[in-house]
Amino acid sequence: MTALPVLSVRGLRKSFGAMTAVAGVDLDVGAGEIVCIIGPSGCGKSTFLRCINYLERPDEGTVRIAGDYIGREPAAAGGTRLQSGRQIDRMRPRVGLVFQQFHLWPHLSALENIARAPIRLRGVDRDEAEAQARRLLARFGLAAKADRMPADLSGGEKQRVAIARALAMKPELMLFDEPTSALDPEVVGDVLRLMKELAEEGMTMVVVTHELGFARKVADRIVFFDAGRIAEMGPPDELIDRPRSERLRLFLSHFQ
Amino acid sequence: MDFSVEAALAALPALLRATGTNIAIAAAAMALALAGGIFLTILRSLKIAPVNLAVGVVISFIRGTPVLIQIFLFYYGLPALGLQLDPLTAGICAIAFNSTIFISEIMRGGLADMDPGPVEAAIALGLKARAIWGKVVIPQLLLRILPPLVNEATIILKGTALLSVITVVELFRTAQQISATTFRPFETMLAAAAIILLLNVLVSQFGGMLERRLAVRRG
Amino acid sequence: MALDLSIIADNAGLFAKGAVATVYISLAAIAAGLLIAFPVALLRLSPRRVMSWPAMAYVELFRNIPFIVMLSLFFYGLPFFGLRLQPMTTGIVALALFGSAYFAEIVRGAILSVPRGQMESARAIGMSYLRALREIIFPQMLRFFIPAATNTSISLVKESAVLATLSVAELTYQGLIVQGQTYAPFEVFLATAAIYWGLTALLAAGFRASERRLGGQGRRGFSSRHRLAARYLSLEPEPRS
Repeated sequence: MTALPVLSVRGLRKSFGAMTAVAGVDLDVGAGEIVCIIGPSGCGKSTFLRCINYLERPDEGTVRIAGDYIGREPAAAGGTRLQSGRQIDRMRPRVGLVFQQFHLWPHLSALENIARAPIRLRGVDRDEAEAQARRLLARFGLAAKADRMPADLSGGEKQRVAIARALAMKPELMLFDEPTSALDPEVVGDVLRLMKELAEEGMTMVVVTHELGFARKVADRIVFFDAGRIAEMGPPDELIDRPRSERLRLFLSHFQ
Repeated sequence: MDFSVEAALAALPALLRATGTNIAIAAAAMALALAGGIFLTILRSLKIAPVNLAVGVVISFIRGTPVLIQIFLFYYGLPALGLQLDPLTAGICAIAFNSTIFISEIMRGGLADMDPGPVEAAIALGLKARAIWGKVVIPQLLLRILPPLVNEATIILKGTALLSVITVVELFRTAQQISATTFRPFETMLAAAAIILLLNVLVSQFGGMLERRLAVRRG
Repeated sequence: MALDLSIIADNAGLFAKGAVATVYISLAAIAAGLLIAFPVALLRLSPRRVMSWPAMAYVELFRNIPFIVMLSLFFYGLPFFGLRLQPMTTGIVALALFGSAYFAEIVRGAILSVPRGQMESARAIGMSYLRALREIIFPQMLRFFIPAATNTSISLVKESAVLATLSVAELTYQGLIVQGQTYAPFEVFLATAAIYWGLTALLAAGFRASERRLGGQGRRGFSSRHRLAARYLSLEPEPRS
């Protein structure tokens, strides 16, 4: 028996009014695999990512995390039905999401940002959760910043804390939504390096990004999203060096 | 006792007639309060310390005490100072005075948010204070504070019902009088409430419309 | 004319009784109003029409009908629903519901004042909607919530005067009683007003203290760069440099 994919998306669709953001997407991501999603802005790649953990509720389609449905599951009578809010809430920590704008909680210290969810949602006791948070901070070079409030952190530091916050829940899959787009150019490298380390440790990751260099170096597969669909998919070298479609060629030409 | 729709409907014509009084009171009070508010705001802008101190105390008093008591003071209290007003006049004055204070406070906030550029330009051009107020500051200010002014108008309209307690025969008083003869107070009050609710919603809607129109003109 | 303060002194007991009743009524209405406001605000924020619509209607009803009319609706209307309450209780219930409509709008505004991403990051990590509200949104909305809620609380203290129309023995009612006995309306209503003034000032002071504790900023002054324009646009005395 082959191992279950960590992420398995089938027939995902999402529209906002008349505008179709995701127009039927199938995607499997295996354990330890790194998938980078690229594409023009407004192509639905962020919406797709947000549909995976049901932050955005898709109109159709199913999402499975290591075999378990999140959001919508097959109904006994055929078709699918929406899970209860509680079921979805229980699934969400298995997927970590890192936002472009970090969205740290400004009223909590860096340490508390990381420790809060494990304490409240996993019942981890405070000492243990804080020790884990400190380990994560130390690993990300932020040991001295544990008691800082988010307002006193730089953009790069905020994003590293945000990644630590997601990792503290020990997710099986990490989603990154343009994690470096809001950062100053000089700190982009720090965050990308950290993501590369995570990848090397075997974390399964789906990354929406404009950093083609990162995608080429780190990704096992690159997905080119266009008009809400997977327009092309393949290993980095193949996709970037030998684009098949005119759309992708045009898109890549913006980066040269 | 069963609810009687007929009783509510039967009261409507008289209630609607009485509503005219509320509208007239509110219009008079709003006009007075707007003029008073502009006057008070300009007075405060002169920053004459003792004047502003006194104004500050009055503002705090008006904001810190019930309108009902202010109405009593105008109607029952002023005769002690040798000023006897009939209920309607006393009521309009009380509401207008109360609203003057609130409008001046709205204006204070509006002024603080205004772009200083045009005012500085006007000063640099050597415009007289009267022209700066009349041609530059007040028109812009009124545009800017239109939403809270419309809100204030609905507050005034609601306040007119309080004048029933000093025997002004307006909507609520009329509803009480009708109830006293028909013994259908709930139905009558419901009809009165519906009328004033509708009126208030209309004023708010009109305000919203005005706002949109002005916003378009401003570009 | 001279104020005859003996009228006040002679009736201090009635004024005190009235003031105590007003404080009791107001605090009860404020507490209950706040409690009701949260579910109303959450319903109002629901993306589902069946939830948000009734909440909106509730809020608009209470905000567009004068309290004096609303109060008499409750007084005459509750018996229709088999509820026979004391005028005092009727008054508190009406005032609480009236206040809850205003509080609900403040809660809604305060929740909306917190950036969307805060709720999203909380939900993404697995918090339920209610937990995210409690742990992430509420602490951040206080800065917006406290000043507005204080103003509404003060309004409720003032609005409670209308309970006098149901002969509830609160401050305004006692004032009317004393006035009926002494025929000194000026002194009596000035004294009544002064007590209200004191009560609302106390509330406002409590709010400023809580705001300071939460590290809120005071009102911003007019920038000294625009000292010239401040002659027209500022009503505060010029800042000393």
